Amino acid sequence: MIQTSPDDPIWSGYSRDPSGFMFKLNDQYYRQVNQLYAGDYDLLLSSGLYHELSGKNMLVSHEDVSGSVPGTPGYYRTLLPRQLPFISYPYEWSPSQLRDAGLLTLRITRMAMEKGMILKDATPFNVQFVEGRPLFIDTLSFKAYDGAGPWIAYRQFCECFLFPLYLHHYLGTGTHRLLGAWPEGIPAIQAARMLPGRSRLNAGAWMHLFLQTKIRTDKLPGGRRPAFSAVHLQRLLTHLESILQKLSTDNFSDKGWSGYYEDTILSQAYLAGKERCFLELIDQLPMASALDLGANDGYFTRLMAHKKVRIMAVDADWQCMETLYRSLPGLPSRDILPLCLDIADPTPPGGFAGTERKSFTARAKADLVMALALIHHLTLSRNIPLPALAAYFAQLADQYLIIEFVPLTDEKAQALIRNKDSYHSDYNIENFESSFSGYFRIERKMQIEQTGRILYRMRKTTQS
Amino acid sequence: MIGNFLLYIDPGSGSYLIQVIIAAVLGAAFFFKNLWWKFRSFFIKPKKKPSEKNDPNIP
Repeated sequence: MIQTSPDDPIWSGYSRDPSGFMFKLNDQYYRQVNQLYAGDYDLLLSSGLYHELSGKNMLVSHEDVSGSVPGTPGYYRTLLPRQLPFISYPYEWSPSQLRDAGLLTLRITRMAMEKGMILKDATPFNVQFVEGRPLFIDTLSFKAYDGAGPWIAYRQFCECFLFPLYLHHYLGTGTHRLLGAWPEGIPAIQAARMLPGRSRLNAGAWMHLFLQTKIRTDKLPGGRRPAFSAVHLQRLLTHLESILQKLSTDNFSDKGWSGYYEDTILSQAYLAGKERCFLELIDQLPMASALDLGANDGYFTRLMAHKKVRIMAVDADWQCMETLYRSLPGLPSRDILPLCLDIADPTPPGGFAGTERKSFTARAKADLVMALALIHHLTLSRNIPLPALAAYFAQLADQYLIIEFVPLTDEKAQALIRNKDSYHSDYNIENFESSFSGYFRIERKMQIEQTGRILYRMRKTTQS
Repeated sequence: MIGNFLLYIDPGSGSYLIQVIIAAVLGAAFFFKNLWWKFRSFFIKPKKKPSEKNDPNIP
């Protein structure tokens, strides 16, 4: 009998999919395959589909550990999947990440059809990013396909991938906030209301989106259904694939933070000085993971790419994360995960009863936390007091914190309070150091040349 | 309420008809595209592009 971890309710053996569930045992995540899914699971293996997909790093690999880890009554197999270091959610992805996850889903569906199987669901929650590439993680999403029916997951695919990407294509909104509002997909009717009139002239949008708002399914002829075949479905999948490839994932007209470092002349000398200090501070630092908060376009994240460190880069501006994601193929290490989220309002827990998906804070642990040119925004613009920031960063950091203090006299800090009547006027270096000293010991501090800004390396002193 | 009917469709049947229609439209598009290319190549002999003729890099 499985002993689930009581402190980890997410993996308590509950699942929406009757085919099986995940559970945690001795710090490892396992997957139980239920009897109900036995036929499809056997077909996944015997058809060679599992080996083909996992061999190409498209589907998560697993080890069958049924002999040593038996499951609950009604179980068929116990699998030990490759353990993933971090789980991210579609409402934290940039548009290209969502598109790549969608393309993977379509490609897997086409490959599955060649082996007599198909995907029974098409949600982006089935995809994770590992070393900069999308990886399908739900081994139980495959089912036998008779070569005659349509794709049961078509509507879900449209609502979760295609509609957010269409909205982004026409409105340039990014996709993460849309999927935050509609985590289970945007209904066609809602998407149609938001899209501009010219989108109706687009044949793809008309067929896959507007048509869904026109056809009443209660008019479906009863009994006999119109003929459909695998050839039709292949055609449909190819069409979806070509649409996804053509849809724009950028829209940089509304300039966010993505030009922060390139734009200001002040930046050139400042950036060079900051880079020198930063490289000195991280030199020889023992760490396996890093979390770059307010990463901007990932300039400093990329500086760490030659180290063997797994990096999560976080920024509220999706355009910055989009730029970083696109730059990954050219880096010495692709083990960088860009995440679009606001540190002043990080991802809350989600799903049924708020227990299906963990909050960002519960997931994001790293040996090193970086907060470069960030805290003046959080304290002066967002009104988060320094002691609260120190406590939060201590929660995220396992060992080290590299943090930049931007004094109130700094040009950028002044710009933030220019039109503000009330802000935390105790924002100064003494309060900064005393707030963080409650959780960290200051190991080194370096003033960045020609500025009043100071870079700190701190070591955590408290247990979290 | 607008769109109320969508709440009651199971994921399979809800998109059956749409997939049939889209597949038919795509099939027709494919058919006419082929027909057009056959028609075109019957009347217009494929010409070599000038760049291909003059390009010294092409053997």
